[in-house]
Amino acid sequence: MNDKTLKGEPVERVVELSLPSKLGYERVAMDAASSLANRMGFHPDRVEALKTAIGEAVTNAIEHGNQHDEAMKVIVLLTAREGELIVNVEDEGKKILDHSMIAREPDIAPKYQPGHVDRGGWGIWLIRELMDEVQITTAPGGGNLVRMVIHLEK
Amino acid sequence: MLEDELTVSTRQREGVAIVDLMGDVTTFAEEKINQAYREVTTQGARQVLLNFRQNDSINSAGIAILIGIVTEVNRNQQKLAFSGLSQHFQKIFRMVGLAQYADIYQDEEEALKHLNSDPET
Amino acid sequence: MELSFPSELGYEVVARDAVAAFARCVGIDKNRIEDIKTALSEACINAIEHGNQFDANLRVMVTCKHNGDHLTVEVRDQGMKEYTAGGKPLTIEEKLAGLGPLRGMGLMLITELSDGAEFVPVSQGNCFRLTFSVLQPAICHHS
Repeated sequence: MNDKTLKGEPVERVVELSLPSKLGYERVAMDAASSLANRMGFHPDRVEALKTAIGEAVTNAIEHGNQHDEAMKVIVLLTAREGELIVNVEDEGKKILDHSMIAREPDIAPKYQPGHVDRGGWGIWLIRELMDEVQITTAPGGGNLVRMVIHLEK
Repeated sequence: MLEDELTVSTRQREGVAIVDLMGDVTTFAEEKINQAYREVTTQGARQVLLNFRQNDSINSAGIAILIGIVTEVNRNQQKLAFSGLSQHFQKIFRMVGLAQYADIYQDEEEALKHLNSDPET
Repeated sequence: MELSFPSELGYEVVARDAVAAFARCVGIDKNRIEDIKTALSEACINAIEHGNQFDANLRVMVTCKHNGDHLTVEVRDQGMKEYTAGGKPLTIEEKLAGLGPLRGMGLMLITELSDGAEFVPVSQGNCFRLTFSVLQPAICHHS
């Protein structure tokens, strides 16, 4: 197989997905990622962690970044490298996430109080718990970008 | 870099040589399946059961490997059967004509019951 | 949805699983999804092997659209050489008689499993369009 480009650079094995911003379609990203991770040799527990993390990231992009605007796309890049899988989830940034809120650990107590409506806010926390590396930035195109890395431990 | 997930193993049960296929049967499967077939044939198998796992898939390259096995089975005057295929792949096997050359059973138990009661073998 | 991947065997499985998830999401019957998975895998393998000649630098693009009673899937490659089907595929009897290679059943499977399979003209590479009639979809549920 060709492992180098004409310029001698290594070929990046990237799967790119473009999804409409509609809840439910995060399953497409989850199944594509788990399919790739399985074939890369990840342990089933790690594949489950990856699915949960990517599901949260795409749901966030649909709900928050793209504000459920179905015409807006969520772009998912899965980059398979020797020993790791890199996942980028990018939205079109109808709303830019407040990075100071993201950095904070959610407070569990109020969420169980009667009448508390917002039980969300766990997505980013969960992603950080499950993935080996996580960066949340604003993409060059102006959208929110979640970059996650999961290492292959054989 | 993507791994081939197929595991092929052989065993004997009630006079039938069983080849267990765990994983997808694609172009990468050729050597493993042919080797398993050669192994049971060398051991004198007269009846060979290829036992698939329900959720796995088989593509046209995998079907080509199986047609190759049919050729060898005919040459060696053995009997070939399949078990464990999903309804979808039973349909595919009928579609490509494999069902004319090998009986298809729902599972291993059903295959063994029929193979052992077949007067031809 | 759209998806693209490098021309390397194994990646057709990722495309297959993504399209299967899409089909489930729009409520397509599970038996029909099995047909879609097999046909799509074969179309992707053709794009990798024939269209892109196993060049991992070239990509295969899959577009999937659902409109009511049909699912349309297009598989495009970046091949410089036009790829079209050869003559009538050999039957299993002909293959067993040694009249041709054992391979080459992909297009036959695609034709049998889909309701329409054709090459459509594009400016570069090959574009193979598959259509599947599907049952009335359910609503896409969040899960």
